[in-house]
Amino acid sequence: MGAFYCAICRQTTFSGKGHIFGKSHQGRLRVVLLKFLEKVKEARRTLKKPQVEKFDCTQHMQTFWCYCCGLEVERNVTDGNMTVLYGGLLEHMATPEHRKNTHKFWWDNKADPKYRDKVIITEEENERFKAEVANALESFVDKEDEFVKQQADNIRAQERHRQEVLQFVLEVCFRRMYWQYPSRWHLLLLFMILDSQWAAAGQGLTFIGYQNKHASPCIPGAVPPWLQDDPLEGTSGAAAHPQIGPSLQDFLKQKEQEKLRKLPPNRVGANFDHSSHTDANWLPSFGRVWNSGRRWQSRHQFRQEEGQKNRLKRKREHGAESSKKAKKN
Amino acid sequence: MSLFLSKLASKKDIDEVIKGVAEKVVVLRFGRDEDSVCLQVDEILSKTAHDLSNMASIYIVDVDKAPIYTRYFDISYIPSTVFFFNGQHMKVDYGSPDHTKFVGSFKTKQDFMDLIEVIYRGAMRGKMIVQSPIDPQNIPKYDLLYHGI
Repeated sequence: MGAFYCAICRQTTFSGKGHIFGKSHQGRLRVVLLKFLEKVKEARRTLKKPQVEKFDCTQHMQTFWCYCCGLEVERNVTDGNMTVLYGGLLEHMATPEHRKNTHKFWWDNKADPKYRDKVIITEEENERFKAEVANALESFVDKEDEFVKQQADNIRAQERHRQEVLQFVLEVCFRRMYWQYPSRWHLLLLFMILDSQWAAAGQGLTFIGYQNKHASPCIPGAVPPWLQDDPLEGTSGAAAHPQIGPSLQDFLKQKEQEKLRKLPPNRVGANFDHSSHTDANWLPSFGRVWNSGRRWQSRHQFRQEEGQKNRLKRKREHGAESSKKAKKN
Repeated sequence: MSLFLSKLASKKDIDEVIKGVAEKVVVLRFGRDEDSVCLQVDEILSKTAHDLSNMASIYIVDVDKAPIYTRYFDISYIPSTVFFFNGQHMKVDYGSPDHTKFVGSFKTKQDFMDLIEVIYRGAMRGKMIVQSPIDPQNIPKYDLLYHGI
């Protein structure tokens, strides 16, 4: 009696091989076989009608644990382009090693012998499967070819459609606009190509030409906004290159103001406007010698005096003239 | 008569100078070129004009060319020197009857320079009237008569 490791129960027992007849072992064995047979059943379904699919690395890279051999085997067979579902599993089950291991497993674990043949695939079955797979692969390749041809047809149809649109645009609109704006024809062409590409994006639609010519984007005689004269593109050179930033005058003015800011704010005439325009009768603020009152009043007093003087002068002249007249009379 | 000082020949020129000169003392000398005292003043003004160029702009005016200013400024003696700052009249207390102008000639260049400096500093402090730094002995004596009497 030595230590005995049971792979099904994953434990070591010291009661010898008697363990495999125990209730717990048989229970676990039944569960394991159920799971195993479930997978084998699925594989056997494809035995008569093999499934071939396009290779998808997320779904077709699965592996399978063979309890009989204690090995991990590939479930599907693939060449990188297409996959035969359950091909790896069936191939493994048809090998003589698997057959030998299965017999040993059943004997060792005292499993039900009626399930044993289900996990073994005979030579005949294997041969038939291989023939079926060859047929399936052939039909799959044919189907792929057909799909590629269909795609090519689609692309060709789209290209033809695009050409039609472009042709129409060039013939109807472009010729008129070319005569109107001969210097900008390359811009127009670019626009047309972009427009036609956009139009071709509507797949499966049939182009029958613009019905309403006046509603189309190229109205003869109308200037589209991107062709209107830019005010910056004037004939004068200065306008074509507008100055960025402040001008020299602005800079000098700013410098003057900086200088003035350093002076005391309450100095005499700090708010005096040096650039104001005044008429010929303007007089500066002046405190006169005989002036009483404020300085600004002296100006008004002076004007009054001037007015009186003029009036007196006029009176005197008038008086002289009248006396002369009287003498004459 | 001075060849080195700019001359103002009309009221318009005087207006422009009074209005246009900023942050500087405008010195207007009213007189006649051929007058002997005027020649003395012109000598002093022209010799100091360069040194005072940061503080003052000096101009000479013929009393006969701008009669309206002669009347407005009550100029009865020549030469008379009037000071402006930023378009405002600067009065100076010389101890003489007239605070509005300096009448006669300065004795030395230094007297004039001191006067300009005092006016400039006073104006910068906001004073409309300043005390003359000139020795009273160096200021010409004269009497003013009110012309209305």
